[in-house]
Amino acid sequence: MIHIEELTKRYGNLTVLDRFAMDVAEAEAVALWGPNGAGKTTVVRCILGLVDYDGTVEVDGLDAVSRGKAVRSRVGYVAQELSFYDEMAVVDVLDFSASLRGFGTERVDEVIDLFHLGDHRLKRIAELSGGLKQRLALASALIPDPPILLLDEPTSSLDAHSREEAIELFERLRDEGRTILLTTHHMEEMGMLVDRVIAMEGGRIVTECAPAALADELGLRVWLHILVDAENTAKAQEALAADGFDSRLNAAGIVVEVPAQRKGEALKVLYRAGVEIEDLEVWS
Amino acid sequence: MRTRIVTIALLAWGLVSVAPSLAAQEPTDLQALIDDAAPGAVLDLAAGTYRGGVTIDKPLTIRSDGAAVIDGGDDDTVITVEAPDVTLEGLVVRGSGDTLDREDSGIYVKAPRVRIVDNRLEDVLFGIFLHQAPDSVVERNVIGAKDVFVARRGDGIRLWESHRTVVADNVVDGGRDAVFWFCDDLEIRGNRISNGRYGLHFMYSDRALVEANALIDNSVGSFLMYSKDLVLRRNLISGNNGPSGYGVGLKDMDGARLEDNLLVGNRVGVFLDNSPQTVGIEQWFRGNLFAYNQIGALFLPSVKNNVFWENSFVDNTVQVTVQGGGRFSGNRWTNDGVGNHWSDYAGYDADGDGIGDVPYRLDDLYDHLLDRNPEIMLFSETPAARALDLAARAFPVIKPRPKVEDPAPLIRPPAPPEPPFDLGVQPSATLLVGSIAMMAFAVVVVLSTRRRRSL
Amino acid sequence: MTAIVAPNAERVADVPERAQRRAIVAIARKELGDAVRSRWFWMWAIAFALLAAVLASVALPGSRIAGSASFGRTAASLVALVQIIVPLMGLTLGAQSIAAQRESGALRFLLSHPVNRTEAFWGIHLGLSVALLAAASAGFGAAGLVTAIRSGGAQAGAFLRITVLAWVLVIAMLGVGMLISVFARRASAALGIAVFVWLAFVFLGDLGLMGTAVATRMPVDALFFATVANPIEAFRLAALGSFVGSLDILGPSGTYAVDALGPALMPVIVGVLVLWMILPAVGAWIRFRTAKDV
Repeated sequence: MIHIEELTKRYGNLTVLDRFAMDVAEAEAVALWGPNGAGKTTVVRCILGLVDYDGTVEVDGLDAVSRGKAVRSRVGYVAQELSFYDEMAVVDVLDFSASLRGFGTERVDEVIDLFHLGDHRLKRIAELSGGLKQRLALASALIPDPPILLLDEPTSSLDAHSREEAIELFERLRDEGRTILLTTHHMEEMGMLVDRVIAMEGGRIVTECAPAALADELGLRVWLHILVDAENTAKAQEALAADGFDSRLNAAGIVVEVPAQRKGEALKVLYRAGVEIEDLEVWS
Repeated sequence: MRTRIVTIALLAWGLVSVAPSLAAQEPTDLQALIDDAAPGAVLDLAAGTYRGGVTIDKPLTIRSDGAAVIDGGDDDTVITVEAPDVTLEGLVVRGSGDTLDREDSGIYVKAPRVRIVDNRLEDVLFGIFLHQAPDSVVERNVIGAKDVFVARRGDGIRLWESHRTVVADNVVDGGRDAVFWFCDDLEIRGNRISNGRYGLHFMYSDRALVEANALIDNSVGSFLMYSKDLVLRRNLISGNNGPSGYGVGLKDMDGARLEDNLLVGNRVGVFLDNSPQTVGIEQWFRGNLFAYNQIGALFLPSVKNNVFWENSFVDNTVQVTVQGGGRFSGNRWTNDGVGNHWSDYAGYDADGDGIGDVPYRLDDLYDHLLDRNPEIMLFSETPAARALDLAARAFPVIKPRPKVEDPAPLIRPPAPPEPPFDLGVQPSATLLVGSIAMMAFAVVVVLSTRRRRSL
Repeated sequence: MTAIVAPNAERVADVPERAQRRAIVAIARKELGDAVRSRWFWMWAIAFALLAAVLASVALPGSRIAGSASFGRTAASLVALVQIIVPLMGLTLGAQSIAAQRESGALRFLLSHPVNRTEAFWGIHLGLSVALLAAASAGFGAAGLVTAIRSGGAQAGAFLRITVLAWVLVIAMLGVGMLISVFARRASAALGIAVFVWLAFVFLGDLGLMGTAVATRMPVDALFFATVANPIEAFRLAALGSFVGSLDILGPSGTYAVDALGPALMPVIVGVLVLWMILPAVGAWIRFRTAKDV
């Protein structure tokens, strides 16, 4: 459904994408994962023809530049910054979006219902919360019932509750057979949603795998914040060091950096050494 | 065949009634009628067309009620008057030739004491030409010119050595001038002269009274040259905007007096060239309104001995100036402690006597620059030119020497003279409809944006 | 939640042809609506209409005496007012347009629709043009109404010609504003540049030319053409020509222009204005279409 090869994008001397290539099959859900500046968003913008690039980007066999309008008519897009027209009302933004896609107000009323925006239809965009903007963005993107969804950091501006709701919704959209390409740097929440993760850094693909395998593939590390009795601190650090875990102290307790798949091992070491753990936090 | 009905019914009064045949193909032979008439007779022409090119060689009255048309067939002069005491009244005279040096005219008079009244002249090169016809009366005629290029037009009214003639209440449109050569003691009153070259043109004609005329949209309203003691009073002189156009131009004049004239919307209100020319003579400009002219009063350098008081200078782009720059030395802007009203006077009148407490000074930086650099006239009335003046006032680093100093400016404009004509400005239907359409457009545009569902 | 599939929709959501053709109109309508809803628009429109109406009535009390000459005053005052306000309206609205939408991200939202950049640009241009034409028409309508009721109709044609010239001017200034807008990084910078350009057109250009003429005895032909190149001056000279009839009144430079260009004078001046209406907008469009960074 989406075919990209030799995609290179430069801003001045800065190379944002460097001969990037990827394919997304029909009805597949793929995540682009990586730190800020990895080039995820740029890939999405290239697909939409919002920026110039070198290389090939095709959607449904259509070139993203020469057939840009046809491409965009197949794509529903939710931007990271959730910008619309601040002074316009929700219903007017949706009407405008629909009119650009050749749909009438009936369809707008449908998506307003679908996304429970009825209570907010007359609010100005500037008055909306992040969660509502998110729903508005999805409502707008889904007006034409597009076969492809591009979701750029779709959960970044949401609180925990809205996040769960949104992911549930994405799953439904996926199950309806849509092709989904999303970007994220919170892989754990997207794990259940996507079939495949493409990890990016510096405009290149680092690795490509199933979401569950990502941690292994990347040798990801997490930080265990372990709170123990003050008199056990030294003992605990000694035990950890003996088994090859580096640790340090901070105000909250002992901080141990471990590969993501060895969290349990560190705890076992402390258990064997007879150190009682009073509290535990995992930072990733 | 020609039928002529000549009724000699009232011989005692010498009244002759003449009617051409209604069936006649050819115009009636007016010359024959004239030849047949006794001196002093009255020819009362009935409606119809009469052949022009006639000469009147005896005192006669030829009259009609505006229905008798004397047609010159576009050749030569239509009516020539060679005898004194002739009256032409209520005739339509049309179709002179168009040869300038033969002076083809509608009515050409070579004898004194003629009366030319209530005639309509159409399509004539010269209109009414009085050549050595003193003590005549030219009244209530309507004179229209031949539609030819301006350089080939003749004068609507031309007087040559015709002293003491009264020219009153005529309407002259198009043509060249109403011009007076060597005619003293004329009375020029109530005429309306438009779209010509010089509305009124005086050459070596002294002591005329020029009153209550309207001189509109000519190249020059009135050009006064080489004449003495002319009085212009209560004339409306407006829209005279020729390339070197003036409302009133004075060249080598002496003793002219301009009182209560309305000089409005001309390129130059009053232009002074070597006037007065004689040392010891003053010219008076009193009670005139100079408004909306490009230049209110324009002096050539070294013009002296003009006195301006009780005039209003209102919103002239340049109120007064000396061509090529310089000051108005030798002229006065106040008389017996009474100056002029200046619309750009920025002073005050604390003692409430109607006279400003500080002198009016014309010292605009832009004006000052304009004197030496006439090419920057291109920028007159631009925001930039105004900003320049404002800046010069706010930061008086460059303080031009004032060109004009009126020590007793009038706070209020004197009541404007009563115009001799109401220009009859009608509410304009076109503009009304256009304006309403424009506002409607704006309203429709605004309403069209109210289709949003949030509204 | 029910299925999200649109009723009667085929699975591939190609936009119908008619919708594509309507994209410019839809964008224009939206821009127009936003412009009309902004308080700036009303401030400009009302200020302009009031000033125009006041000028028309202030200039007219002498109309019984002055006839069409007093119309000349009305026209001259209106022209001066238009010279100042209309360019500022067009420049600021144009400068804000694309830069502000780009900055807020709204432009990205717009361009993620099946709309190409040409349609987006001309849609915005069209919408803002109509808004500006409406504002200018309200002002001229108000002034015209006062003039029509109180003064002579001899110059109705001239008044309407000046109106049309002001329309052309405001669209020209919109184009210049949009040119600024596509190049500016930020909306605030665009606005600042627009105000500077306005100053340059209205004041600095003329002052510079006046200074040059005074200091160097610049030849009149150079002075005239340098002046006409300024769109606001082209507007003024064309307007002056239409109600005074001849540019002779503008001193030696005017006389030069009348002599040198003859009957071509007005077409040349109006042509300059029309070029200003077309070229900056086209330049802005080309830049917007090629420099894709949103």
